Amino acid sequence: MLAAVLLIGGYTIGNSLFAEEEIPRVGSKAPDFTLTGLDGKTYKLSDFRGKPVLVNFWGSWCDPCIREMPAIERQYNKWKDEGLVVLGLNLDESKVTVQSFVKQTNVTFPVLFDQELRMRDRYAVRQYPTSFFVDPDGKIVQIAAHEMTEEFIEQTVRSMLNS
Amino acid sequence: MNTDSASGIFLLCAFILYTVSFFVFVIAVTGKKWSSRDPERHVRAWGRGGLIVTVLGFLCHLGYFFTRWAAAGHIPTSNMFEFLTFLAMMIVLAFIIVFLLYKTAVLGMFAMPVGVIILAYALVFPPDIQPLIPALQSYWLKIHVTTAAFGEAFFAVGFAAGLMYLIRVVDYNNASAAAMRERRGVEFVIFVVLLIVAFVLSVFLFRALGYEASFQQETTRIDQNGQAITETSTVDYVLPPIVKPFNSTTTTMKPFLGMTEPLFEAPPWMNGVNAGRKFNTLIWSIIAGLILYGLLRLILRKQIGAAIHPAVTGIDPEDLDEIGYRAIAIGFPIFTLGALIFAMIWAHEAWGRFWGWDPKEVWALITWLFYTAYLHFRLSRGWQGRKSAWMSVIGFVVVMFTLIGVNLIIAGLHSYAGV
Amino acid sequence: MANTKCECGHQNHAGTVLCESCGKPLFDNDGTSPLEMRYDGVARRSQKANPTAIDRVWNFFSSVKVAIYLILATLVGAMLGTIYPQEDTFLNIDPAQYYKETYGWTGELYYRLGLSDTYGSWWFVTLLVMIGTSLVICSLDRVLPLYRALSKQQIRKHLSFIRRQRVVYSGALPAGTADEWMAAAAEKLKKQGYRVHTDGTALLAEKNRFSRWGPYINHIGLIIFLLAVLMRGLPGWKLDQYIGFLEGEPVPIPETNYYLKNEQFNVTFYSEDEMSESFRQKGQIVPKLYETRAVLYECVSDCANPDKEPQLKELTRQTITVNHPLNYKGLLAYQFDYAQTPKLISVSPKLRNKQTGQAFGPFTLKMKNPAGEYEAGPYKLKLKEYFPDFSLSDKGTPITVSNEPNAPAFVFSITGPDLPPEGIVYLYFPREIDKEKYRQDDINGAVAGGWDISVDSMDDVEIANFTSYLNIRKDKALPYIFTGAAIFLIGVVMGVYWQHRRIWLRIDDGDQLSLGAHTNKNWYGLRKEVAAMLQRTGIDVDPKQLANEVKQA
Repeated sequence: MLAAVLLIGGYTIGNSLFAEEEIPRVGSKAPDFTLTGLDGKTYKLSDFRGKPVLVNFWGSWCDPCIREMPAIERQYNKWKDEGLVVLGLNLDESKVTVQSFVKQTNVTFPVLFDQELRMRDRYAVRQYPTSFFVDPDGKIVQIAAHEMTEEFIEQTVRSMLNS
Repeated sequence: MNTDSASGIFLLCAFILYTVSFFVFVIAVTGKKWSSRDPERHVRAWGRGGLIVTVLGFLCHLGYFFTRWAAAGHIPTSNMFEFLTFLAMMIVLAFIIVFLLYKTAVLGMFAMPVGVIILAYALVFPPDIQPLIPALQSYWLKIHVTTAAFGEAFFAVGFAAGLMYLIRVVDYNNASAAAMRERRGVEFVIFVVLLIVAFVLSVFLFRALGYEASFQQETTRIDQNGQAITETSTVDYVLPPIVKPFNSTTTTMKPFLGMTEPLFEAPPWMNGVNAGRKFNTLIWSIIAGLILYGLLRLILRKQIGAAIHPAVTGIDPEDLDEIGYRAIAIGFPIFTLGALIFAMIWAHEAWGRFWGWDPKEVWALITWLFYTAYLHFRLSRGWQGRKSAWMSVIGFVVVMFTLIGVNLIIAGLHSYAGV
Repeated sequence: MANTKCECGHQNHAGTVLCESCGKPLFDNDGTSPLEMRYDGVARRSQKANPTAIDRVWNFFSSVKVAIYLILATLVGAMLGTIYPQEDTFLNIDPAQYYKETYGWTGELYYRLGLSDTYGSWWFVTLLVMIGTSLVICSLDRVLPLYRALSKQQIRKHLSFIRRQRVVYSGALPAGTADEWMAAAAEKLKKQGYRVHTDGTALLAEKNRFSRWGPYINHIGLIIFLLAVLMRGLPGWKLDQYIGFLEGEPVPIPETNYYLKNEQFNVTFYSEDEMSESFRQKGQIVPKLYETRAVLYECVSDCANPDKEPQLKELTRQTITVNHPLNYKGLLAYQFDYAQTPKLISVSPKLRNKQTGQAFGPFTLKMKNPAGEYEAGPYKLKLKEYFPDFSLSDKGTPITVSNEPNAPAFVFSITGPDLPPEGIVYLYFPREIDKEKYRQDDINGAVAGGWDISVDSMDDVEIANFTSYLNIRKDKALPYIFTGAAIFLIGVVMGVYWQHRRIWLRIDDGDQLSLGAHTNKNWYGLRKEVAAMLQRTGIDVDPKQLANEVKQA
């Protein structure tokens, strides 16, 4: 009985001591996800280890999200050969809506369905757009809870690629 | 007359009978000198008389309880008023039980006032019969609340015995620093009791005078999702406002002693809807308590504990120690069962989690831990007697805080109950 | 090495205080003060003379003083957790910001000290583990020797043992009555419930030994309870979520394979006649009952595919009310709250040929994640665009202002008989009010004259009125928690409501009676009982006179 107490007790203490921070912040590990894309393929964040990733949460009704899309697309094209991965996570809209949006804006990076807003909740996103810059080791190096300018994206991507 | 008003009359009878029994016990203890019989028989006879009056009062109290149950359609333990009247009834019952075990009349002198004061305090709260919200519609309401109150009642009797012990044992002639500290400690406890009495009296006084004041207050609170919500609400005072709620404007205010405006405003961190009113109540209680205490000191010309001390010299302090311990020991399993175990079962059935660390649950746990510590302290001989008596006094303060403080202060900075 | 052999001939364990056989004190021979009778004076591990490192740890946890400190520390810690609301009372805040913003520097300090999650913090859990350890060790330290001591008790005890108990009586019996007296005493004691053993001129009467085990049983209960509480921290042992269920659709329950559908939600309020006169005047609306008719499903395939509907298998149907949760194999769903949230779920319109009056369909159009293609008779409708909350931008282009179906608009491309080969484009507003506002017929232009999409009646419109908030929980540790609590209570009742009493007496030199008695609690009661027994045998004493202790100041 004593052994049981000590074992379980030790485990629980260790657990609460080293518990992973619930809310992802700059410096913490980016929570992994597996989502389906508009192209029908499955995308898993951890598959992109070794490459910098920009995770962007957006919705077609969100004006600032739409406004920053062209800048994101341009930066994607500029850096994709150096390894930059961009994943656009759509906030649980219907397939039709997302399809027509992509057709209109001609974005080429993968657009994923965040069904039931599960990843939005996991990433504790409270306003839109919000973007997470994840470095090749899977750590969040920057969180932008606002519409981004092209310079901002460029600067952050550069520093991720250089480090 | 309908059952609702009949229950009111029963309660009044109980109140009167309890007060009478208190005086009978006083005579039992102090009247020895003037009685024609020999002291032993005097005490026993008057003690028995006191018990009879107490039992009669208890029966009236039961009458109130059942008639109100009939009128309301549910067991009357669902709000502050009902719970406090029930607790008072349980304290009287616990006292009767302990009295039958030990037959000490002087216990009545201290335990009955505790019951009476709690009953009076109950009358401060609105006595209306309210329909039961779905969360309370369960047979657990009958089981959990009643058992917990019964356990706490024994702690109350233990408190009375502990206080008696201290008054008996504290040296009122010794001038040493240690003895003075002890005397002051006892005086403080007596002061707190008087504070409650004074509070009740002032509420009744101002109610009788028909006093009222009201304010419009703007509050901002954070809801469960972290969103800030601003609301405007009306806050009504029954006591003259010395302090008005933070961020509020006076709507109406009857003048009091020449005061036509509140003296000052509550600090900003008191931003709950009723925080200002409760702060005002607290200030009034302290003032009224000081006045009452001051008056008594003037009349008695010495520390109140010193005035009571002669009345208790007749009793063996070891017996008092034993009575206090036994009362708490009897109450501990009942309290554990009612306040913790039944509470956990009901919480699990109603909310899906047997324990949620919410303030009321935590303070019930704190009470339980405290009495656990008390029982373990007594395993060591050095801790029986004085220290044990102090612990039983403090323990009851914890019980009262759980009942009053948690409902009105901790939750109360964000809740809607009280005076 | 101290001498542990008693004058009666018995060899005791090292550290014994009172001889295990005759009770003679091995030290303090000539004193007259009452004996230290704890654990009957047997040797305990924690009293060993030369402690090793392990012994020191053992002694630490076995000490009652340490236990009290641990209890008080837990008490204070718990108190601190009630100063500000804890993190888990909120659903959706960022603790690092919340406490600082709401309470200022005191709030920030509270958060940094870890007090915003007091009961999950490492130091609080450590306290609980230490209490658990102390419970185990302090019980083992005492119960084993105590059991040994109580199971083999000698009837004839040493005179100094008897005379130095806390309840004593010595006196002379009338000459020649010793045997008679013994018999009468034994008789009386048996009537009082004692088990009486005699050995010539010595007698041992014992009752309620079982109550001595009370504390150890309640400690076992607490240990089980604490273990169960700690085990809840293990993955898979508990689940705790608050989810809103709009009427009609099965909603997935995260971290499980279950879906729950709120088929229908009902709420009834107290009518005026059900309230008392005084309460009626307050004008408050008090809910009397609210319930959810719930259906629980399990997803069997296509669970994570956005293109296909997950295949669900119905598991059970239950009605959930407050205090009566849904219960399925340990998964519990409690009625927590509700909100009135009318929402359009779907419409089932028909495609109408205005010229011929024919109607085709109906087809079901969902507001949430509508399908891409539909059939109405021989016609195929392809959904080209969908705007859940239709509006026109500044530039006059159609956009949606949110993801909620507040003003849904669908753009179809329809192909089929009597239609041009490239199909016609039709904009459809299910809500009449939007149709008027945005002049659906005008927009559809030439097409509108010939074709129409509309529902027959409100029967073809599905609206959900209520969202029911349920708390979904699972707790595998629960049965252990209640078992532990029950055992604890039994132990406490055993230990508190009964007391272990023993009376030893012996008659020496023909008529010298020596009586000694001991109990673990309630000396008052013991004295009364002994006095009553003595009175019955012709010796009149007041219970008080039996007490043999130094008066406390």
